[in-house]
Amino acid sequence: MDKILAKKDFSRWLEALGAYDVYAPRLIDDVWNYELAADPKAISLDYPQTAIPAKKIVFPQREFFFEFHEADTDGYELKELLPGGKPAVIFGVRPCEGKAVTLTDLVFGGEIKDDYYWKRRNSAVLVGLACASPPSANCFCLSVNGSPHSKEGLDVLLTDLGDHYYVEALTDKGKKLVSEAGAVFHEAKPGDKKAAEKIHADSEKKLSRELKNIKDVPAKLKGMFASPFWDDESMSCIRCGICTYLCPTCHCFDINDEVESQSPLAGRRVRTWDTCQFPDFTMHSSGHNPRPDKAARLRQRINHKFQYFVEAWQNYQCTGCGRCITLCPVGIDIIKVVEKVRDHVS
Amino acid sequence: MSANVYLPKLAQVISVKDEVGGVRAIKTFRTKFLAEGFTHRCGQCAMLSVFGKGESMISISSSPLVTDYLQFSILKMGRVTSAIHDLEVGSIIGIRGPYGNAFPIESWKGKNILFAGGGIGLAPIWSVLQTALLQKKDYGDLTLIYGARTSPDIVFKEELRDLKSKMTVHLSIDVAEPDWKEFVGFVAQNILDKKPSAVNTIAITCGPPIMIKTCIKALSEIGFKDEQIYTTVENKMKCGIGKCGRCNIGRHYVCKDGPVYSWAELRQLPQEY
Amino acid sequence: MVKHEDLKAEAKKLLESGTIKYLIAYERNARDGKAIPVFIKKPEEVDKITWDPTCFHNLVRFVVDEKRRKARQKNPDTRPVGVVVKGCDSRALVILLQEKFIDRKDVRIIGVSCETTGVIDERKLAKKLKGQKAKNIEFGPDENFVVTTEEGTVNLPASEIMADRCLECIAPIPVISDVLFGEKTKRSTPHPFGSVDKIETLSFEDRWKFWSEQLEKCVRCYGCRSVCPMCYCDECVADTITFAVTPDTTADEKALKIKWLDKSPVISENIFYHMVRAIHLAGRCIDCGECERACPVNIPLRMLNKKLEKEAKLLFGYDVGFDPDKPALISCFRDEDPGDFIR
Repeated sequence: MDKILAKKDFSRWLEALGAYDVYAPRLIDDVWNYELAADPKAISLDYPQTAIPAKKIVFPQREFFFEFHEADTDGYELKELLPGGKPAVIFGVRPCEGKAVTLTDLVFGGEIKDDYYWKRRNSAVLVGLACASPPSANCFCLSVNGSPHSKEGLDVLLTDLGDHYYVEALTDKGKKLVSEAGAVFHEAKPGDKKAAEKIHADSEKKLSRELKNIKDVPAKLKGMFASPFWDDESMSCIRCGICTYLCPTCHCFDINDEVESQSPLAGRRVRTWDTCQFPDFTMHSSGHNPRPDKAARLRQRINHKFQYFVEAWQNYQCTGCGRCITLCPVGIDIIKVVEKVRDHVS
Repeated sequence: MSANVYLPKLAQVISVKDEVGGVRAIKTFRTKFLAEGFTHRCGQCAMLSVFGKGESMISISSSPLVTDYLQFSILKMGRVTSAIHDLEVGSIIGIRGPYGNAFPIESWKGKNILFAGGGIGLAPIWSVLQTALLQKKDYGDLTLIYGARTSPDIVFKEELRDLKSKMTVHLSIDVAEPDWKEFVGFVAQNILDKKPSAVNTIAITCGPPIMIKTCIKALSEIGFKDEQIYTTVENKMKCGIGKCGRCNIGRHYVCKDGPVYSWAELRQLPQEY
Repeated sequence: MVKHEDLKAEAKKLLESGTIKYLIAYERNARDGKAIPVFIKKPEEVDKITWDPTCFHNLVRFVVDEKRRKARQKNPDTRPVGVVVKGCDSRALVILLQEKFIDRKDVRIIGVSCETTGVIDERKLAKKLKGQKAKNIEFGPDENFVVTTEEGTVNLPASEIMADRCLECIAPIPVISDVLFGEKTKRSTPHPFGSVDKIETLSFEDRWKFWSEQLEKCVRCYGCRSVCPMCYCDECVADTITFAVTPDTTADEKALKIKWLDKSPVISENIFYHMVRAIHLAGRCIDCGECERACPVNIPLRMLNKKLEKEAKLLFGYDVGFDPDKPALISCFRDEDPGDFIR
């Protein structure tokens, strides 16, 4: 059932996907990001890591909830604005981002479902790319129950075998995507499977960073809530939103009304990303702020990822992609902070 | 069939009452859904929408046994609550809910209930009080110990006058006033003064954070165990359904896992609220 | 050459004597050989201090934090903080002093001269090394940087991997300090506004297209604002991240507060935010380049601020951040200032 796709035929697969919005990593001004693929022939999956993770396609930074406008009868009319259009296909999704989507699924699902997220999520097809070597110097997926060839959250997994890809269709959506371009693929041979498996096995030895022995960190964090540890660790934090906006698992958002016309009143209710690192995130209207300083906010970020989410969902809320480490302007390193928690003696 | 959780239902304001005037104004609104609405349980809240301004999470203070309207008492605090205060009878707003958990009043049947409230804090526990009054034979003695900074700051003034004939009511204000005959001091001090019995009694307290803290301390002093004390917490909220990440205390989202907590539960959570 | 031992000795002296409560300096991150900010509280810790071409951060940003910290404390320790500053960073201190945001006695300034070369640009270095990872970068002789990778050590001409702002630097030596390390070498800067001049050769339409495309990328992470020492306003007009709310602020005051910007990262809001920030930095930005370095999507932000620095120079003869006793740009005027816009 597994297939082979010659790299030279990759653009033919894309050309068969006219029914989808195709996203792939593109280099713009030295930064990789998932963008709508304008020219299928120009796409190459030879890239390390995007700045903004694949979450932005199932959970965009800005989306509309509904329109409101004043109606004649002194009331309002609301028009729901659920996402529509073509389903998305995202090529090149790293396994850590695939796993991250399964974690945001937990948040947006459950007893009460977020229709906007699920409309995109249910139709999106994630075509993953196994990491033969770590995309980032700060990758540590293995330490947080992930792996460079994990299939979690992905619909298809591609493994780069040199001049062709080993193609594993993992879900019904993935199988459908592969069958849309039928003749472009060839049956995989046992030798291909072996080659892919070797790449997967080797990739696990190549990560340069790890976060060891963190089983007891959730309990440790519980006891460190009032510790001055957080003051020391947060001293260089500049309270921007880079770590959280670029994190594949972070999901905090804001809801605001954007008014387009005052009279008659008309506008839209809009959802945008938000971050617990901004000072006013938790500030009450009265001015009272449960997290008034950087220490409290760094504590929240680490606690959410390594204690609260674990208590709620039995998973770390971190997939080890390393973006927060690479892109923090002042070098705050989540691996180092959690190691210090692990080794902390009060 | 589940409707879009972020889409409010439209409702009309059917009455507006000035409870407290001045800079810290409080008004009580009653609303009626234009079409199908929802039922709630004591302690639950709803997100009120003023389109163009935003939403605010407010406790539903009417009893679930009252089906003609939903009642909300709102302190004018910022942008959205100021817009709510500008509403008139006939205004249309959006309401989505009910959100959060409820006071476990079923398990309180046969017990006495002590209500300790301060300022606007009477509104979130008013639904329990009204329900208990409507089902008086199911509950034991009902006592209210309520205070405000000054006598004009007391909410539900008329209702409190009526209440005195139906249950024990002890009122207080922080600083003495010429015509004030009842207790002068904080609600916590009034609790210690009146020493209500903790035997077979549940205490519910709500008010400004400092009042909740002092009342819990006072109640503990007079024999209430942690499991006997209940409160309702507030936090800045946006989605109301435990997804936007804003209102968490530890792993709990106040909008979903709260706002009702027993002190036994609340003291297990990080003290970050 | 700036000797590490001299820096460490000075730090030790200041900490042992209790002259400063802590020192804001650079520490080498052993993992990737690059510097990060460090806060040294005890004399035993001074061995952490480094000075090398990866010391690109503007540590004055943390002097601003110190003021905020003191404001929250009941009985704050009023001793100064020590801060290591390069030439550009020292000009940031001058601005904070001009604006009376801090007092001179609040800081103990340890100046370090960049001598003949500046600091690196990480992206330029990565391109030059073509995938190899640098483990160590030091100042070398003859305007080279000595770069060590897994493959070995190589001398790279500094001009090829130096930050753009260093190539346009007008203050390689700190303009204010309590102690100064390194030689007071002269450096010629033939094109102090070179990067701005390049943009200005474009037509108006091309310039609008350029900036629209760049600012479309913005995700409003506010990395640029957060890293800037001069963006210290508690209430930022572009996006109020902190209201100055007290128990006496009335509901009407909060309700009437104008929301200038929507949170949505769309082009209209992005342009507004960046343009307003640039204008608010006129006469205040000292081109430390941190905003551009922090940006995760590589928007060439320092050019916006540089343009206004150029305007200040051309229109008003104003040099930004040299003399703490001189007034701020927008709080003074000369009789000969251009007035043709007044009709």
